[in-house]
Amino acid sequence: MRGAWTIAFREFRSFFRVPVGWLTVALYLFLTGVVFANVLVPGGTATMRDVLGWSQFFLMALAPAVSMRLLSEEFRSGTYEALMTSPVGDVSVTAGKFLGGVLFLKAMFAPTLLYPLILLAVSDPRPDLGPMVCGYLGLVLLGAFYLAFGMLLSSLTSNQTLAFVSTFLLLVLYRVATSERVIGGGLVPIPPGLARALAAVAPGPRLDDFAKGLLDLAHIVFFLSATAWFLMLTFVALEMRRWR
Amino acid sequence: MIQVRSVSKSFGRVNAVSRVSFDVARGEVVGLLGANGAGKTTTIRMITGFLPPDTGSVAVEGFDTLRAGESARARVGYLPEAAPAYAEMSVEGYLDYRARLFSMKRGDRRGAVERSLTRCDLAAVRRRRVGQLSRGFRQRVGLAAAILHDPPALVLDEPTSALDPRQIREARALIRALAADKAVLVSSHILPEVEQTCDRVIIMAGGTVRVDAKPRDLIGSLREASPYVVEARGPADRVSKAAAAVAGVERTEVIGSAEGWTRIRLFGRSGQDLRAAIAAALTSEGMPIRELTREAPSLERVFLQLIESADGAPPPPAAAAGARPTGAAA
Repeated sequence: MRGAWTIAFREFRSFFRVPVGWLTVALYLFLTGVVFANVLVPGGTATMRDVLGWSQFFLMALAPAVSMRLLSEEFRSGTYEALMTSPVGDVSVTAGKFLGGVLFLKAMFAPTLLYPLILLAVSDPRPDLGPMVCGYLGLVLLGAFYLAFGMLLSSLTSNQTLAFVSTFLLLVLYRVATSERVIGGGLVPIPPGLARALAAVAPGPRLDDFAKGLLDLAHIVFFLSATAWFLMLTFVALEMRRWR
Repeated sequence: MIQVRSVSKSFGRVNAVSRVSFDVARGEVVGLLGANGAGKTTTIRMITGFLPPDTGSVAVEGFDTLRAGESARARVGYLPEAAPAYAEMSVEGYLDYRARLFSMKRGDRRGAVERSLTRCDLAAVRRRRVGQLSRGFRQRVGLAAAILHDPPALVLDEPTSALDPRQIREARALIRALAADKAVLVSSHILPEVEQTCDRVIIMAGGTVRVDAKPRDLIGSLREASPYVVEARGPADRVSKAAAAVAGVERTEVIGSAEGWTRIRLFGRSGQDLRAAIAAALTSEGMPIRELTREAPSLERVFLQLIESADGAPPPPAAAAGARPTGAAA
């Protein structure tokens, strides 16, 4: 793991030196700002559920925008060769790149912490902080999961656009396939076994629990293990790149 | 310092490198030459640990690049051909990042970055973004990154290709200075550069080592077979006939005639210097000489002959004389 934090901090800082980093943050803040503006109505409920709920969907496009450059850009620019000939291993590279992306996502979420503060200031009675904290935890876990998935696809191509589009489309497919309408058979008839399998990997109900303030260890383990799984596949992809 | 032992590497059905062996000792600058596709880059990538060899082994200061990869890589400074660096980073930011990757301590890091900036003449652009620099400057940034951690082995792929003549002279001096306590492997297409900088050259063709010799031995062996050029006053047929009569001259060809002077090229047996005999023969026939020289051999000629021989022609005399056996360890 030597060098992982060095790589992570470089990666994190580099997002703020390129337009795509600032555009991603600006777009996220604009979209969540619009959602929050609709929450701030006289007599409305002081909750972050809408902001955090919509953020799940914004992440389907924003996480690929972050992950697309993590490895594809290294391959395209040739810096991957310089990186891999330094005394750091594939594990450090994988972990460092991922951590850099996660740090950036957290930095992107950070300004939205202003929204709960506004709610606390203007709402009476005061909003419940539990669901907000859990909701943010769920969002970070989901973001990490999406990032790990996007990084796997980024490790397979030197074309950032291809990495972005493929990650985005597959995430949309994943969310649609694990949506209640599909699992419940309302949209298309599916075999019960497949419905059970899709329900087991569906993020929606888990995120709903986070939004309600329910901290279920099973949900945390689900997101962490899914993230670890895709990170391991990324590591394997980098190793194969070396050996093929 | 760098030990390459019978390494081979294939990509699918293509044998990129086949049983290549050589050493680079401390204090030595070795040039790695070859046409495109000769296997230079693959060999370099195996030395730097970027690619694992299919068979054979590479060790740097005794550390095997496969079994002790991180230790081996820590001992190599590598400048890839395109000198890649993160365009959005400042020059000193990038060097500091590289120093961190090599686990240099904070105090050492600052000093190392300063030394590299000074040695590669980058102090004036230290705060500029790498992406804003010219290719020559970017190459110097790559060189600065390669020498940053003071590695015992340096592998430089085309280190001067983007530099102007003054920078080339400085880079050459820097490489020679670095070689005082390092093993330096330089891949280059600029043959005069290799001739002036390297103690030894390894010429690769078809994924194998064709020649492993000192440049002066290679050129010296070629000099023995170099043709003579003579310009004498007289008609072409007379000049040619008189020169051909000299013992040891095997063939003559007329280059041209103008204003009573004829210019011819003579090919003699290798191992003999026929200049005195040619001069005597022509002047005794009443044909004064205003030029008599041997065509200067160059590494470029050796290189071209080897490339041609790799394409099917018989190997040149220079490839054999004074050179180590093909593929043999140094």
